[in-house]
Amino acid sequence: MRARNVLAALLLAAAGLARAGDYAALPGGRFESVLPQGDLPGVSVPVTLAPFELRRTPVSVAEFLAFVRAHPEWRRGTAPAVFADARYLSHWSAPLEPPAGAGALQRPVVDVSWFAARAFCESEDARLPTWLEWEYAAAADETRTDARADPAWRRRILAWYERPGGAALPAVGGQANAHGVRDLQGLVWEWVDDFNALFIAGDSRTQGDPDVLKFCGAGAISIIDRDSYAVLMRVAFLSSLNAADTTSTLGFRCARSLPGASR
Amino acid sequence: MSMSTVADRMRRGALSIGCLIGLSLPVLAGAAGRTAPGDFGPPRGEPIHAILTSPPNVPPPVARNYPAKVIVELEVIEKEMQISEGVSYTYWTFGGTTPGSFIRVRQGDTVEFHLKNNPDNKMPHNIDLHGVTGPGGGAASSFTAPGHESKFTFKALNEGIYVYHCATAPVGMHIANGMYGLILVEPPQGLPKVDHEYYVMQGDFYTQGKYREKGKQAFDMEKAIDERPTYVLFNGAEGALTGDKALKAKVGETVRLFVGNGGPNLVSSFHVIGAIFDEVRFEGGTNVQKNVQTTLIPAGGAAVAKFRTHVPGSYVMVDHSIFRAFNKGALAILKVDGPEDKAIYSGKELDSVYLGDRAAPNLNAVAKATASSEKGTLSLDEQIKAGAELFNGTCSVCHQANGAGLPGVFPPLAKSDFLAADIHRAQSIVLRGLTGKVVVNGSEFNSVMPPMTQLNDDEIANILTYVLNSWGNPGGRVSSDDIKQRRAEPAAAATAAH
Amino acid sequence: MTDLPMTRRGAVLALMAAAHAAVAAQAAPAPPVSTLPGDSVYRLRPRIVDQDGHAVDLASMRGAPLIVSMFYSSCDMVCPLIFETIKQTRMALPPDRRERVHVLMISFDPERDTVAQLKETAAAHGCDSHWTLVRASDADVRQIAAVLGVQYRRLPSGAFNHSSAILLLDRDGRIAARTGKLGEVDPQFVDVLARLA
Repeated sequence: MRARNVLAALLLAAAGLARAGDYAALPGGRFESVLPQGDLPGVSVPVTLAPFELRRTPVSVAEFLAFVRAHPEWRRGTAPAVFADARYLSHWSAPLEPPAGAGALQRPVVDVSWFAARAFCESEDARLPTWLEWEYAAAADETRTDARADPAWRRRILAWYERPGGAALPAVGGQANAHGVRDLQGLVWEWVDDFNALFIAGDSRTQGDPDVLKFCGAGAISIIDRDSYAVLMRVAFLSSLNAADTTSTLGFRCARSLPGASR
Repeated sequence: MSMSTVADRMRRGALSIGCLIGLSLPVLAGAAGRTAPGDFGPPRGEPIHAILTSPPNVPPPVARNYPAKVIVELEVIEKEMQISEGVSYTYWTFGGTTPGSFIRVRQGDTVEFHLKNNPDNKMPHNIDLHGVTGPGGGAASSFTAPGHESKFTFKALNEGIYVYHCATAPVGMHIANGMYGLILVEPPQGLPKVDHEYYVMQGDFYTQGKYREKGKQAFDMEKAIDERPTYVLFNGAEGALTGDKALKAKVGETVRLFVGNGGPNLVSSFHVIGAIFDEVRFEGGTNVQKNVQTTLIPAGGAAVAKFRTHVPGSYVMVDHSIFRAFNKGALAILKVDGPEDKAIYSGKELDSVYLGDRAAPNLNAVAKATASSEKGTLSLDEQIKAGAELFNGTCSVCHQANGAGLPGVFPPLAKSDFLAADIHRAQSIVLRGLTGKVVVNGSEFNSVMPPMTQLNDDEIANILTYVLNSWGNPGGRVSSDDIKQRRAEPAAAATAAH
Repeated sequence: MTDLPMTRRGAVLALMAAAHAAVAAQAAPAPPVSTLPGDSVYRLRPRIVDQDGHAVDLASMRGAPLIVSMFYSSCDMVCPLIFETIKQTRMALPPDRRERVHVLMISFDPERDTVAQLKETAAAHGCDSHWTLVRASDADVRQIAAVLGVQYRRLPSGAFNHSSAILLLDRDGRIAARTGKLGEVDPQFVDVLARLA
């Protein structure tokens, strides 16, 4: 009896390594982004998002540890500076030793760069979500798929912005939203695949100033609705980053396209 | 497509955007042998690390007669601090303080500016220094993610006192959270020597809760857009420059105040009660105005006020849009010590009238009354003592510490027939204010009393109990339940009964 | 958790799976050490194809300074200016040094910038043999832009909104200089270029 259980456990472990991550299916559909999606700045043009899958929680320390165990080229000290900056996994005591302590392994992994996040997602046949996919998933609260008109939704986000980092992060697995996805707001910032498509000018007052030499095509992005400044602050954060950058409040989760759907 | 076609298109395109290219100013002047005024040539000597100070202190004079390379390192720190007694707020700061560190350089210096964003911060930040000639004042080049550092270099071409602030979207919010400070670019010959230099900066703050509502307060964007501040403060907090933190000088000394206004919204009518500015570099510019009582400091602007102290006392700095001083906290103190000069001023000190709860660091009787009230053992004596403490500094400002009022202006509370006739009416007046004609003790008054919206039920009850038991008034007691009832009643027209 | 039949075959298979898992869970062997510096852009191995249809190995650019930028052919505003500026920048060097400096232009738009289009664009801008115009998959373009610090997004019209940056890579592929100045030569950029060429 005991041998059978041990073998079952070993088989499960083998299966687990091949395809980790618990994904929720999101239907997509018509979505109005806070960022202009049309050709004209300041004009809202709804997009149609293909259905996709999104990890229910951000990638945890435990999961990232398993990843760097299997992919030594992504360990701290080995990963080159062009892909991960000097603060990559800086809170770990050694390249294969995350911070100790009760529940530390279940915290979201932070101090990871865009390249490292991408590599992790590739390792489980996934990718980073696009900005639109992320924005769409995060528009939900516990009961509604689009709660953005509710000031309470915005207040919760702003309350998190007003809490500086530095404190130990809680574990992943907070309250699920209407899509069954957790922790999109209020835990860590998250990378998106097209973070470098979200450029606002370094000086945010130039919204509307068509510095077309600097941003060929349309000038820097300006948001459509002044009330969506909570989302704008997320865009500002993502656009302040370079791909090799890491910060102690920035993690990620993965997404998967569904077969047959085009991105 | 032939080359000439592309070149033609290019030329056409270049003509239309040529003006845009022309508009982008090179930051380092000196191209083709042209130098801007204020450009004294390349930096000489070893690079200097700028000394930055926290308010209200100012770094020492530059004391240098050649342009140098000055390295400025400024760190953005997001932290929770006290904005008023028992009230905390998340500030975003340059150098850990609001206003941020004071930067002092010399005209013609080449400043290598390092902006660091503390790794524990959540937000990206940048900096716009009004003294910089260049795109966005440096904001474009300093957009920095947490845990990172940006560097940009500029030449300080213009001398003067300049505001710096964060310019990350939403800009108003970053400023409202305390991201502003001053940079002084000294003229090449330096500034005339004075005995004291101080750094004072006004700012307006917008919280979801009311003025002095206890606990952690969040930023309120709606109030900020509507320009309805909850607090208007010097140096970022109530009491930042009062009590034992008051600025100090001695009789006969010269004081130079670098006064900034970070906004985000309000313009300041800066005045020092009991002093006249001998010289004001209004707007921080080159011209000087003399013998000034009150000077306007625009939001995002600064001024330099210089005066000599003649008599001892507490000089109260206010924004003379006066309700900001007494109802929102725009109050700071310069304490001047030394021998009196009766020839110039012989009266009592202003302390008891204006300072009240600001001068005393604690409100002991108030704390005691609160504790008793919670236990249900609040006594009349405790109420009177607490009311006395609260009265001073709030009501005493107009009604005077002895309840005498100001003849023709503010009605007396001492032995007041108006008060004795209807205590319920008095309670409503404290809650809702009163405008229009009243007759008190035979004299007519026609003034404006603002609603005391910053006082809670306990505070109003204690103050009225104190008043009822002072200066020949009939005595009696008001409870916080009485006030609660008054609040619930529909507001009668806040004018005097005809 | 299912109940496993304890047949001998089942046991052997389970053991093999377990062994496989155990091996994978152990620290995998170290990868071959690259001779490229850690901050070299050539560490990225995108699949890029040039205007002659040849696959290009980015690391083959090693050994000489390289001017890099990103563009798309149907851009009529800024991208032509990028080409011109790079030309002027190379001309700021004396002919023998200029010889050593090559240019790599990466297209944002693999859909419309086919090999044939790249060839046309190169000819239209008078690009000589020092210029390589390439296309790559959307995913690779995103990575190249990320490593170069270029921001871009595709608009519904098919045009691109992108930041304009001209970069200089040193002989080992490290970013040595970067400029946003278009239409005129950036003296600081040329300074660095002259030192590297």
